[in-house]
Amino acid sequence: MDYAWDFGAINRYWSVLWNGLVVTFQLAGISLLAGLALGLFVGMMRFAKSPVLTWPAAVYIEVFRNSPVLVQLVWFYYAFPVLIDTTMSAFMAAVLALSFNTSAFSAELFRGGIQSIDTGQWEAGRALGMRGPTLMRRIILPQAIRRMIPPLTGRAIELTKMTALASTIAVPELLYQGKLINAVTFRPIETYTVVAVIYLVLLWSGTLLVDRVERRLGRSDAWNR
Amino acid sequence: MNGTTWDFSVVWENLPMLARGLVGSLQITFVALLFGLLLGLLVAPLRMSALRSLRMPANVYINIFRATPPLVLLFWFFYAFPILIGVRFRPYEAAVVTLSLQSGAFFAEVFRAGIQSVERGQWEASRALGMGYLRLMRRIILPQAFKRMVLAFFERAIELFKTTTLVSTIAFADLLYEATVLVNQTFRPLEIYTAVAAIYILVITAASVGVRGLERRMARSDA
Repeated sequence: MDYAWDFGAINRYWSVLWNGLVVTFQLAGISLLAGLALGLFVGMMRFAKSPVLTWPAAVYIEVFRNSPVLVQLVWFYYAFPVLIDTTMSAFMAAVLALSFNTSAFSAELFRGGIQSIDTGQWEAGRALGMRGPTLMRRIILPQAIRRMIPPLTGRAIELTKMTALASTIAVPELLYQGKLINAVTFRPIETYTVVAVIYLVLLWSGTLLVDRVERRLGRSDAWNR
Repeated sequence: MNGTTWDFSVVWENLPMLARGLVGSLQITFVALLFGLLLGLLVAPLRMSALRSLRMPANVYINIFRATPPLVLLFWFFYAFPILIGVRFRPYEAAVVTLSLQSGAFFAEVFRAGIQSVERGQWEASRALGMGYLRLMRRIILPQAFKRMVLAFFERAIELFKTTTLVSTIAFADLLYEATVLVNQTFRPLEIYTAVAAIYILVITAASVGVRGLERRMARSDA
C-alpha cells in the first residue's frame, strides 16, 4: 500500500505517448470512413429484392457481429496474408479488421434508420415519379441519417476503444507505446495509469458529446413534428 | 485461391486442446458474469440514490469501466494493480477481477434502465397504497422491470464472452491463446485461426439465436 508514485520517470516519454495517440486517431479515422462506406453499401444490399444480394449481406453481417474483434484482428494479420499469398503490415491488418467490423455494425444501423422512415415518404416519393436510387438519395437518406447520427457516433467511440486491441499485433498506437515505455522504465503503475487516463478522458468526453447531440436532435425532431 | 492448400488435419488432431481452451473461455465468462451481476445489483441502487454522496461514486465507477478500453483495464489490473496493493496476480485472477468490474458497470446500467423504464404511474400508485420503498420494489417495480432486463442481460453476457478473448494477451489459456500456442508449434495460422473464428461464430450465433427466440416469446406473452 505504501507505493511511492513517481510520474517523473515517464516525464521524458510524453512524445512517445503523443505519437501513439496520433496512430490511434489514424487507425480509428481510416477504419471509420471505410467502415461507414462499406456499411452503407452492405446495408443497401439488405434491401435488394434478389436473395442473391440479401443473403450474402446477411451472412457477412452475422459473421462480423458474432465473432470477437480480437479474433478478427488476429485472423487478418496471421491467416489472411497466407490465404492471398502476400505480406501485410500490422497497421493494414488492423485497418481491415476494424473496417469490416465497423461496416457490419453500421450496416445494421443504416438498415434500421432507413426502415424507421415512414412508408408515406416512400409512397410520396414514388408518386412524384422518383425511382429507387433518387428516392433513396433525396428523400429517405437525408431523414434517416439524421436519426442515425447518435448511434453512429456511439459506433465511432466503440471503434476508438477497439483500436487498443491493435497493440497485440504491434501497431504502435497508444497502448502499445505504453508497453514500450513500461519496458524501459519498469514503471507499470505510472505508465498504465497514464495510458488509461488518456483513453478515459478521450472516450468519456466522446460519450458526453453523444448524449448532448442526442438530446439536441431529439428536441429539433420534436419541433418539426 | 493462389494455390494455397488448406489442410485442416492440424485442427482435427488438436481438437482436445482447442476444446480445453473453449472451456477456459466459458469458465471466465461464467465467473465474471456471476460477480458482475452481484456487483451490478449492488451499484444500481447507489446510482439511483437520492443522496449525491452515494450517486457520484457509483456514477464515476460506471463511467470509468464503460469508457476505458477493456484491454487497457486488463493490463492495468495485471501489471499495475498487484504492485500497488502488494500482491501477486495470476492471469486468471487479473482476468476475473477486470471482467467482473467491467461487467458490474454495464449490469448496473442494465438494472437502472430496467427499473427506470417502469412507468411513473406504477410508482405513484404503489406509494398511494402505502408501500415502502423495498416492498414497492419487490412487489411492483422489479417484476415488471425484470422482463426488460433479461434480454439486455443475455446480450451483455454474449458481449462478455467475446471480451474474454482479451485474456489471451496475458497468457490465460482461453480458446484464442490455445490457438496461438498451436500456431507457434505448427505454423498453420490459416487453418487454425479460421477454425477458431468458426468456433466463436458458431457459439455466439447459437447464443444470439437463442436470445432472439426468447425475445419473440416474451413479446408474445406481453400481447
